[in-house]
Amino acid sequence: MKDEELGRLNIDYTTYTTEVPEGSVTPFRGSTDLGEVRAVIPGTVVEVRTAPGDTVEDGDVLLLLDAMKMHNEVCAEVDGRVEEVAVEAGDRVEKGQLLVRITQSQ
Amino acid sequence: MSIANKINDFLKRVSRLIMGGGEEAVAKQKKRGKLTARERIAYLLDSESFLETDIFVEHAGRDFGLDKKKLAGDGVITGYGSVDQRPVAVFAQDFTVAGGSLGKMHAAKITKVMDIAGKMKMPLVGINDSGGARIQEGVDSLCGYGDIFYRNTILSGVVPQISVILGPCAGGAVYSPALTDFVFVVDKISKMFITGPQVIKSVLGEEISQEELGGARTQAAITGNAHFFAESEQEAFEQIRRLLSFLPSHSGEDPPAVPPAEPRHPLGDHVIPDDRRMAYSVKDIVRGVLDDSDFFEVQEHYARNIVIGFGRLGGRTVGVVANQPRVLAGVLDVDASDKAARFIRFCDSFRIPLITFVDTPGYLPGTDQEYAGVIRHGAKILYSYSEATVPKMTVIMRKAYGGAYIAMCSRHLGADFVIAWPTAEIAVMGSEGAANIIFRKEIAAAEDPEKLRRQKIEEYEKEFANPYKAASRGYVDVVERPSATRSALLKAMKVARTDRPHQQDRRHGNMPV
Repeated sequence: MKDEELGRLNIDYTTYTTEVPEGSVTPFRGSTDLGEVRAVIPGTVVEVRTAPGDTVEDGDVLLLLDAMKMHNEVCAEVDGRVEEVAVEAGDRVEKGQLLVRITQSQ
Repeated sequence: MSIANKINDFLKRVSRLIMGGGEEAVAKQKKRGKLTARERIAYLLDSESFLETDIFVEHAGRDFGLDKKKLAGDGVITGYGSVDQRPVAVFAQDFTVAGGSLGKMHAAKITKVMDIAGKMKMPLVGINDSGGARIQEGVDSLCGYGDIFYRNTILSGVVPQISVILGPCAGGAVYSPALTDFVFVVDKISKMFITGPQVIKSVLGEEISQEELGGARTQAAITGNAHFFAESEQEAFEQIRRLLSFLPSHSGEDPPAVPPAEPRHPLGDHVIPDDRRMAYSVKDIVRGVLDDSDFFEVQEHYARNIVIGFGRLGGRTVGVVANQPRVLAGVLDVDASDKAARFIRFCDSFRIPLITFVDTPGYLPGTDQEYAGVIRHGAKILYSYSEATVPKMTVIMRKAYGGAYIAMCSRHLGADFVIAWPTAEIAVMGSEGAANIIFRKEIAAAEDPEKLRRQKIEEYEKEFANPYKAASRGYVDVVERPSATRSALLKAMKVARTDRPHQQDRRHGNMPV
């Protein structure tokens, strides 16, 4: 376990010459769009209960995901219209993978 | 039976029991590159000091044919001995006996030495090498774990508790080490996880090796679960003996004092770079202050932007907490806060004065940190410093900005003695940031904004980036040259008491965790 190379880190308008260990600072890549329903854990899609064009409400079950020895209900978190269902029954999904996209009703 | 026969019979019984799981199992253990439980105890303790207890204890299993099996010592060796002539209680799980699996009597042996460690006020060293719960004993095995966890908690802050992981330590079993003060791991031998690779694969489909998931390097560098990393078992036991040399046997006494020694590499005045944006290793500063330049670092490979560890000042043990400008400019973040706070609380529990070296630009900005809860984790540093009643000494070397200035054992959190170097910058933020914010409008409206910006930065730096504003308010007691730091700290140590009581009008506080 050796020291790493020096890199640069900017804090409050000042650039410091210092080690920046991998993974310590990552640019923001997440999404705050509640209409993008993503897998919170890896698993297998058991059953899809929605289709593009459906009108859904906050709390409606969109699909069942088999993970952690459970059939987990994946629900809508907004009211809106289903634009896209990105998976089908039997699909293996990774954590963070897009499952359903909903356009939020105004 | 004659006396001679009885003694013969006794010796025969003992000689069978000290073989553990038998020649074949011992050969297997060796082939894995591991020492036996008895060899481990020999490396830990002073020679001939071990008094073994409960060698004749037998398991209490009734089901699944276990009742027809004999398990030597029920898979764990327990007793008392000494390290540098000071008493310690010890247990060592014996992997050669039923994989070191934990059943009711195995646990009862462990809890017995734990109880004695608490009554007689001596440190406890647990040597962990176990496949986990003894499934055949069912809920009795779980009861055993619970009994151990309960005692780990009750003994916390009473006697130092040390765990060394020398084999698998998985599932519920790993919570005992987690409850203890210090965890030692050995490269390629230690394996710690809550759910192993097979469970992860079957549930989540992820493939990962035991080593990557919970090996010594992972625990020392990524998770921070381990405090000390060693290349070999022998080295781990040397580290444990060294750690114990800094610690009191219990919280009712001061750590053992040794004859004072001058640093081998004393500090000069030019110990940090002229350019305050440049990195240096704070460990050189720490060694320049401590007796014999001897610094025993804790969690060396984890959250390296903060450095913690033990040393001595004038022969007395001190705990050091230092921002490390070499890594991430010495920022505070979630992991560094966690690391420092637990260490501060350990020192406070065991009457170890704290010396804090400050050079930090503040908290690490970014969504990673905010989403990881840097608010509550950062608060742990504030809480643990404020709560600590051991002597608290602070050396402000360079940057002490904003909330991080407060957090790093400032006068405001109850520091007893604050020294600042002439290079200290105790300010609400760095000059660049402050000038950019305070003079934003003027700079934007200027004919040559860059020139005005530089001018304003310089002005701010001259006026505020120094120790004298804080010293003029009494927030800093002494401004001194780096080369005079040690002598000032030695004088402060002379008046430092380690027996100040904690707040009496509450049951206990509720630290953010």
